[in-house]
Amino acid sequence: MKVYVYCLAEGVERLNKTPRGISNLPVRIAKFQDLSALVSVCRPDAFKVTRKNALAHHEVVRSITRQTTPLPARFGTLVTIQQLSNYVSTHRQAIKAKLAHVRGRVEMNVRMIANIITDTSQESKNEDVPGPGTAFLLEKRREIVREKAGVVYKKQLSLWLREKLGDLVKEEKISVVISETVILARADHLIERVDVEEYRTKMANAVEGRPEARFMVSGPWPPYSFANIELEFSSQFGVS
Amino acid sequence: MSTFDQAIISDEWENTDLSLLETLDHVLNRGLVIAGEITISVADIDLIFVGLNVMVSSVETANEVLRKRAATE
Repeated sequence: MKVYVYCLAEGVERLNKTPRGISNLPVRIAKFQDLSALVSVCRPDAFKVTRKNALAHHEVVRSITRQTTPLPARFGTLVTIQQLSNYVSTHRQAIKAKLAHVRGRVEMNVRMIANIITDTSQESKNEDVPGPGTAFLLEKRREIVREKAGVVYKKQLSLWLREKLGDLVKEEKISVVISETVILARADHLIERVDVEEYRTKMANAVEGRPEARFMVSGPWPPYSFANIELEFSSQFGVS
Repeated sequence: MSTFDQAIISDEWENTDLSLLETLDHVLNRGLVIAGEITISVADIDLIFVGLNVMVSSVETANEVLRKRAATE
């Protein structure tokens, strides 16, 4: 028998109107001293990766977020109670520090799509069809240029968002993908729960000044993007 | 509309669709990874992939597309 894990939290003694979990299973609290995990007891073959279960996972995390800010587990986390216990005891300090960091806070997301206007006049002048080696090198060069442009764009976007949102942002993660024709960017922000409306207003005003791009702002979310401990370890010590 | 999961400042997209995509993106791609079984890669079920490019597909559909693409190449 295993447990399906929804999230880790602190100070959860009872659940207020928690919805049913994955596969319509009841949600329970597994206590590890002062830390708790919301789980469902689940046979491994009873768990299916379905849209319904993914949404059920989120509903459970969302419901507990009304009581306290948890560290949401990734969908599909099915472990033995011993594995979960080992994980919590091994990472206790990191989990507590992380919970303290997200306490009273929520996640907001900004997505941006902008078209790239390229100057093709130079390319059209060169009517010679490159050989496979030249084509490969040209593509490689374009990739490198795109990567460098992505780094620059990431900095610019971060500066722009900081300018518009000011101290509302407690932590930020930005990812940028640049293709031949579009720039896709995503910014994840950890903000105080009480600042959600101000964040929305400031973003709505900021977006008006950028008609060249399309924006989407969503949230508040449980802090999915700021929950992982392993990733931080990897980024600090270069371990992958 | 509920307090959570609202998608704002969108244009022609439906808010409900965006909420679903955003929800799945968070649940599938983010969150605490605890040592254990992450069974996302299981086939034969209604797995949905959502990326930065807002693509949604079931595994079956994705496999079908790949099979057709391989057949034409």
